[in-house]
Amino acid sequence: MPLTLTVNGQKRTFDIEDDTPLLWVIRDELGLKGTKFGCGAGLCGACTVHLNGAPVRSCSTPIRLVADQSITTIEGLAPNGTLHALQQAWIDHNVPQCGYCQSGQLMTASHLLATNASPTEADIVAAMSGNICRCGTYSKIIAAVQSVAGQKEEA
Amino acid sequence: MEMNRRDFLKTSITGSGGLLLALSLPGCASVETGYNADQQSWVPNAWLELTADDDIFFTLARVEMGQGTYTGLTTLIAEELDVPPNRIQPRFAPAAPEYRNPLYKLQLTGGSTSLSTSWEPLRVAGASAHRMLVSAAAKVWKVESSQCRTREGRVLHPNGQDSLAYGQLVALAAVEPVPSAPTLKTPDQWQYIGQPMQRLDAHAKVTGTAEYGIDVELPGMVYAVVTRPPRVGGRVKSFDANGVRTMPGVIEVFEIDRGVAIVADKYWRARKAQQALTVVWDDSDALTLSSADVMTHYRTAADADGGESERSQGDMAMALATADDVLNVSYEQPFLAHATLEPMNATAHYTDGHIDVWAPTQAPDLGCIAAARATDLSPDEVTVHTTFIGGGFGRRLTQDYIGEVAAVAYRVKRPVKLLWSREEDTRHDWYRPAMLHRLQASLKDGDMTGWQHQIVGPQILDWYVRDAAPAQYPWAPKFLYNTLGSVGLMAEGIATPKDMSAIEGAVDYPYGVDNLSIRHTHTDAGIPVTWWRSVGHSHNGFAVETFMDEIAHKLGQDPLAFRRQRLEREPRHLAVLERAAELGDWGRPLPAGRARGIALHRSFGTYVAQVVEASIRAGEIHVHRVACAVDCGQVVNPEIVRDQMESGILFGLTAALYGQITFENGAVQESNFHDYRLLRVNAKPEMVVEIIDSAAPPSGVGEPGLPPVIPALGNALFALTGERQRQLPLRA
Ligand code: FES
Ligand code: FES
Repeated sequence: MPLTLTVNGQKRTFDIEDDTPLLWVIRDELGLKGTKFGCGAGLCGACTVHLNGAPVRSCSTPIRLVADQSITTIEGLAPNGTLHALQQAWIDHNVPQCGYCQSGQLMTASHLLATNASPTEADIVAAMSGNICRCGTYSKIIAAVQSVAGQKEEA
Repeated sequence: MEMNRRDFLKTSITGSGGLLLALSLPGCASVETGYNADQQSWVPNAWLELTADDDIFFTLARVEMGQGTYTGLTTLIAEELDVPPNRIQPRFAPAAPEYRNPLYKLQLTGGSTSLSTSWEPLRVAGASAHRMLVSAAAKVWKVESSQCRTREGRVLHPNGQDSLAYGQLVALAAVEPVPSAPTLKTPDQWQYIGQPMQRLDAHAKVTGTAEYGIDVELPGMVYAVVTRPPRVGGRVKSFDANGVRTMPGVIEVFEIDRGVAIVADKYWRARKAQQALTVVWDDSDALTLSSADVMTHYRTAADADGGESERSQGDMAMALATADDVLNVSYEQPFLAHATLEPMNATAHYTDGHIDVWAPTQAPDLGCIAAARATDLSPDEVTVHTTFIGGGFGRRLTQDYIGEVAAVAYRVKRPVKLLWSREEDTRHDWYRPAMLHRLQASLKDGDMTGWQHQIVGPQILDWYVRDAAPAQYPWAPKFLYNTLGSVGLMAEGIATPKDMSAIEGAVDYPYGVDNLSIRHTHTDAGIPVTWWRSVGHSHNGFAVETFMDEIAHKLGQDPLAFRRQRLEREPRHLAVLERAAELGDWGRPLPAGRARGIALHRSFGTYVAQVVEASIRAGEIHVHRVACAVDCGQVVNPEIVRDQMESGILFGLTAALYGQITFENGAVQESNFHDYRLLRVNAKPEMVVEIIDSAAPPSGVGEPGLPPVIPALGNALFALTGERQRQLPLRA
């Protein structure tokens, strides 16, 4: 049965088994490869996308549960070619090592800032603890989030 | 005498960096150099291509898996070419002899060698092209080339007004003589080396556009999953695919060497079909052992055979016989998985007698061999393309997943992507070996008089030669691959280094002591093993530095002072140790319930000392702070050095706190991140890293941060509880 989703602002319709995880729809049907597969079990956060603005683990979200709803992926984090303030901060702080976890980290962090413009370090740690980075970039992730949170405070 | 470009590569680079390009092995195409008039592009050497449009491409022969080669190696060539590193477009190298790692004679990225082995050759390659560009401009202007300067990709006229972009000069530079030994910049002339710099891959990695192996997409591509035997050594006896073949999207179900492959039009359909597949395993050759059996096997081997002497000085037996007291301990360490965040995967397409493979691999030429072995093709009918890599840590030096995808692609004859699940990745890894260490110290008159270390466990090369031998001996017919593998590389007498994988970090015991004996009891329980971040140092660092701590406490000495007084002849060890102690507030009072531990370890030419501060609360170990001093010689990018220290520390803490792969009846019990835990940000300590100034040649940084942190934490826990933990992982 066809299912419809709005992904990064565009309506898309698929004919696919409705238990297919959202992750594989995003990656293989839509060709948006920025969202990654790490564990398939909701444990690592590499597959994090926004569902109606809130982070979800797309590897563990069957597509039928998100029909007709709105999804944002890393490719849609900043509109038309600009960078989200966090993406810029990630570049400025040289956060990525292998980089594989970073789409998920950014999706989680951007939701944190959208709901809490000036998080404390403890807030950041609490929000980011579902996202594993095997390369150990955590210090820089915290610093990068803080730098953007700081800007907002000053503004 | 004017040399052609290929000679230039052979001689100048062999002379300066030991890069044995003279080894132009057959079976692997070499890089074409020279000027291509159609494309208006000049390839001065295997690393660079400059175009008339002023594009500069740099062929990156060491893969980027997070450790920073993409930025670090580009910086080297940029420095001598005199262009900002971000003007250069790195691209991943195909398999070719020019790109082999001179230390291994294989095109592999590992052993923290990328920077040290590229340091001379890349600067020479950059300087050589630079010199030719300047000479070309000087001829255009009819001035002396010594009067011309360069800046940011342009040659400047001595008149201070005119300039020519490199792109305008490529056709002319291409006919300039290749300098045989171009002068390199002196350190005071460096603009980019030694400076913090933005990672050149950061933009792609924060926008989701960096292409990892898992992201490769080919037109008409289908998806494969493989069901593998749960027990090591198991094989397919039979399988029932009747219900599976008719499931939606399923294209083929067939046996390959390592199990049963299911190919479907969509990944999820292949996974669902896999659940419906029943395989009967032939376990007649399968292992039945448990992790406890492995240790028993090691103990039995160690009792029976004191091991080969790897280093000895003085008379250890006498020291033990005449000691006032002998300290006698053993340490046990478990198998560990790599758990790269990007699971194993590869994509392949077989067409017209040739197979193309796209894979996140640390060893593309071994990937060629693995693909050839899994098909009826020869290595020169295989092309391996590399990608960004979502973590390597040694796992992707072993090419089993490339063999699998090649077997599948050869059969289905259409583009196919193979993807492992996390559970498969955890259970079918090639592990960091479990190890047993037996140590004895003779103590006399309040001092240590002898140190004996018996290392018990396998060597990595025993497993690795199965992949490596054919790549090193490409002339060998295919039927010899397995023989060559089992006979080993050394049998050929070709300069293959001694396998240090079991003893490195122990045999180079740095502390002064009169009597010393380091032995290796070489024994293997049959569980597949491979390189794992810092390899032997990952277990020997723990054994040596924990035992040092035990002896210090036994003698009633401060662990820092005990080490320090034995490092008189090791100034670089001593300097990092003292600096780490300062950074870690060694000896200063701590709040109740906290304690510090210290450890020092040199690996891959880099010296690292760390002080760890820890506590135990609510049945859990908390690591509060890690102070780290590192001497890695000349620093190319200080920020990457710091990042890699932190990365190694967190990787080591993950092993120390949680790391354990458990075998039961020959099968791995752990499966995903709930039972093979990785350290999360909420367990991250504060980390302070200081780099010691050094003019010594650069040494690796990807691994050396790891070994000391495990013993430093164990030593802190001893200081806290008075109980010594001699098994990993550590318990609260
Ligand atoms: S891939 Fe979804 S949480 Fe790990
Ligand atoms: S950067 Fe490699 S997993 Fe996070």
